[in-house]
Amino acid sequence: MSKIKRAVSLYSYQDEYATKRMSLDDILHDLSDMGAEGVEVLSDQMIHGSPHPTAETVANWKNLVSKYNLYPVSDDIFVNSTLYHNRRLTLKEQEALLKDELINAHNLGFTLVRLVSNTDAALIEPCLKLAEELNVTMALEIHAGMSFSGTLTREYLKVMKKLHTKYVGIVLDMGIFCSRYPLISRKYFSQFGLNRELADFVDDIFNQGSDPRTYISHHNGGEFDIPPEVQKMIKAPVDREFWIMASGYENTPFGIVDEYIPYVKSIHGKLYEMTDAGEEYSIPYKKIIEYLDSKNWEGYIATEYEGNRFVLPGEPVDGAGNVRRHQAMLKKYIGR
Amino acid sequence: MFDRYVFTDGSCKNINENGTITGFELQTLITYYRGIPLSMVYNLDVAVDGITVPREIIRVSLDKKDWFTLNEAETVTSYKWEYGEPLYIQVLADGGLRKGTHDVRLKLAVWPAYYPVPAGGERTRAVTIN
Repeated sequence: MSKIKRAVSLYSYQDEYATKRMSLDDILHDLSDMGAEGVEVLSDQMIHGSPHPTAETVANWKNLVSKYNLYPVSDDIFVNSTLYHNRRLTLKEQEALLKDELINAHNLGFTLVRLVSNTDAALIEPCLKLAEELNVTMALEIHAGMSFSGTLTREYLKVMKKLHTKYVGIVLDMGIFCSRYPLISRKYFSQFGLNRELADFVDDIFNQGSDPRTYISHHNGGEFDIPPEVQKMIKAPVDREFWIMASGYENTPFGIVDEYIPYVKSIHGKLYEMTDAGEEYSIPYKKIIEYLDSKNWEGYIATEYEGNRFVLPGEPVDGAGNVRRHQAMLKKYIGR
Repeated sequence: MFDRYVFTDGSCKNINENGTITGFELQTLITYYRGIPLSMVYNLDVAVDGITVPREIIRVSLDKKDWFTLNEAETVTSYKWEYGEPLYIQVLADGGLRKGTHDVRLKLAVWPAYYPVPAGGERTRAVTIN
């Protein structure tokens, strides 16, 4: 029996929320209706006033979570280090902002915060004591495009291993396990005249079990260099944009996670596009869940719909429908 | 990729203050997926019929009470632009938009903390002034 539980990140509902087609109450009702046990929120997105919301806003959130019987899995937080145009915030300033976020997460009922990729690892140790006092774990998102090998991620992993406490871990984003390049992205860029040869080239890289990041590192080493054979296929700005976008998807082998399993606090069930057969087009969830079960991993997979980025203006975004189909797929493989 | 949130439909009209047209206004949602302090707006650009409006005559507000020029907005760290809520934009120019139909273009970019470049979008709408 799998120890994995289903949750939904409200990131998935950003269009429904922004266009006021669904309120926070409507969205949590939807989660409950599809049998999700947990909820993940970006407090900056749907808890207005964060990280200093009014007592009324906090009470409203807690009432809704309780009304729909959802477990508050994770608060996805950000440190606004680009607050000013003329300088980056100092570490001291960033530390104060992160502490505010920890307190807010605690007040909202969370015991886990997801730190966005590229959060400075030097912030962790100074915030650890407060995290312990509040019983809030800090976990960096391991996201496609940086995975385990990005410079800032490596620094974080070093700090995490050194501190070796249950209050410091990672959140794995399943976008690192794309076995096929997202079709919805190819279709989107094709509308703007994407060179088909380049699109096929990217598809082939994935079909051969690799990804553009790995391809680049094997061919000329520079992380942001464009190999000459790719350069030849870049005929217009849209092609360059597509290649940069494609370099942000990964086909990383599961085995890379082995040594980090004890640190994995939660998982983002990335979703670009559900197929008619009820599978995610790019990400092999059946195999992923088998892998996690084989490691006896326990926690929540939170559906995170990101296909919204590839819907053309004027066409509707269907976050709710995609989430529902993704949850049905997870249920099939998890068994609950 | 955030173009769909730029320039709210039907929001562009002349500002009428006691019978005098003092400029025109429009609204937009954020070109990002969460709320941020106003100072993190990186750039905002309005053009009418292909001509860019001088930056100095634009002002913005989150509550329609406190208004900031774009230079001032760079220091406004304690007013948060909430996700799903409008930014109110006014272009102060005597007479506003003349009668007829105009192509009004809004470009917006914000600079989120961990993005290598600003996140932006733009949209042009045909605005008819009767």
